Amino acid sequence: MDVNKVLDAKGLACPMPIVKTKKEMTTLEPGQVMEIQATDKGSTADLKAWAQSTGNQYLGTVEDGDTLKHYLRKASAEEEKEESKHPHVMNLGDLQNKIEGNEKITILDVREPAEYAFGHIPGAITIPLGELEKRFEELNKDDELHIICRTGSRSDLAAQQLTEKGFKDVKNVVPGMKEWTGDVNQKH
Amino acid sequence: MKVAIIAANGGMFDAYKVFNIATAAAATDAEVGIFFTFEGLNLIHKEGHKNLPMPAGTEHFQEGFKKANVPPVEELVSMATEMGVKMIACQMTMDVMSLEKEQFVEGIDVGGAVTFLTFAKDADVTLTF
Repeated sequence: MDVNKVLDAKGLACPMPIVKTKKEMTTLEPGQVMEIQATDKGSTADLKAWAQSTGNQYLGTVEDGDTLKHYLRKASAEEEKEESKHPHVMNLGDLQNKIEGNEKITILDVREPAEYAFGHIPGAITIPLGELEKRFEELNKDDELHIICRTGSRSDLAAQQLTEKGFKDVKNVVPGMKEWTGDVNQKH
Repeated sequence: MKVAIIAANGGMFDAYKVFNIATAAAATDAEVGIFFTFEGLNLIHKEGHKNLPMPAGTEHFQEGFKKANVPPVEELVSMATEMGVKMIACQMTMDVMSLEKEQFVEGIDVGGAVTFLTFAKDADVTLTF
């Protein structure tokens, strides 16, 4: 999985995986994702709790033989702000209704690959916000685009960016995956 | 979060109880203070903390510690210091045992009961080991 940093904490006993995670996290930029490889079976519960107390985002864990691969995303204060600039928004209920309708709809998920992997709306296209500038041509300018992220903040930036590039019908889905209760697919 | 710990026992198991919680709390952005009193002073004694006794009859766990790759107490102590855990050695016990500040690991403070109480009075978690 595409991440910004990999921390090898294999073979270490509690509390070392947490202590190392704390140290490494300071080298990450807000919004970046770290993979923590551990063999300590308690590390799943611990990292989840750690993320919760420190305000970071726990994405999920993948078992790979004896190794547990945990995915954490560094907190970003910016994202928690409710401010949005793109004028066209759609709430989660309306999106759900549209998905259930007969029309084929296009959903663009602009979160990081690891966030997408641990749960996304079935059929959503994945292009992380940071790659949109060079990958926007993969999308069709005439489609009605529903852009989603975790809180509605990154998708707001993406919606503005795409509108500037000449996309005609762009909607920012708010508040985002954080409160999505519909179907999700996992892929990892 | 603020965590206040009293370390009153001086065995190897006690050291792990104290320093595992302390370093885990510090890694979770907590402010941590430990008051070392009576046998607890062993845990920060320059030579003593490198060779702490295991409870009688548990020597066979030695192998388990190695197998689980548990870091030596020494490493946990220096990690705690590095992470800003406040360590206070009890003045009264030091007087009773004729110990000087120089005999303890770097970075500790010496204080009395009120020093610890002042730190602990608004703690969210208080533990005694």
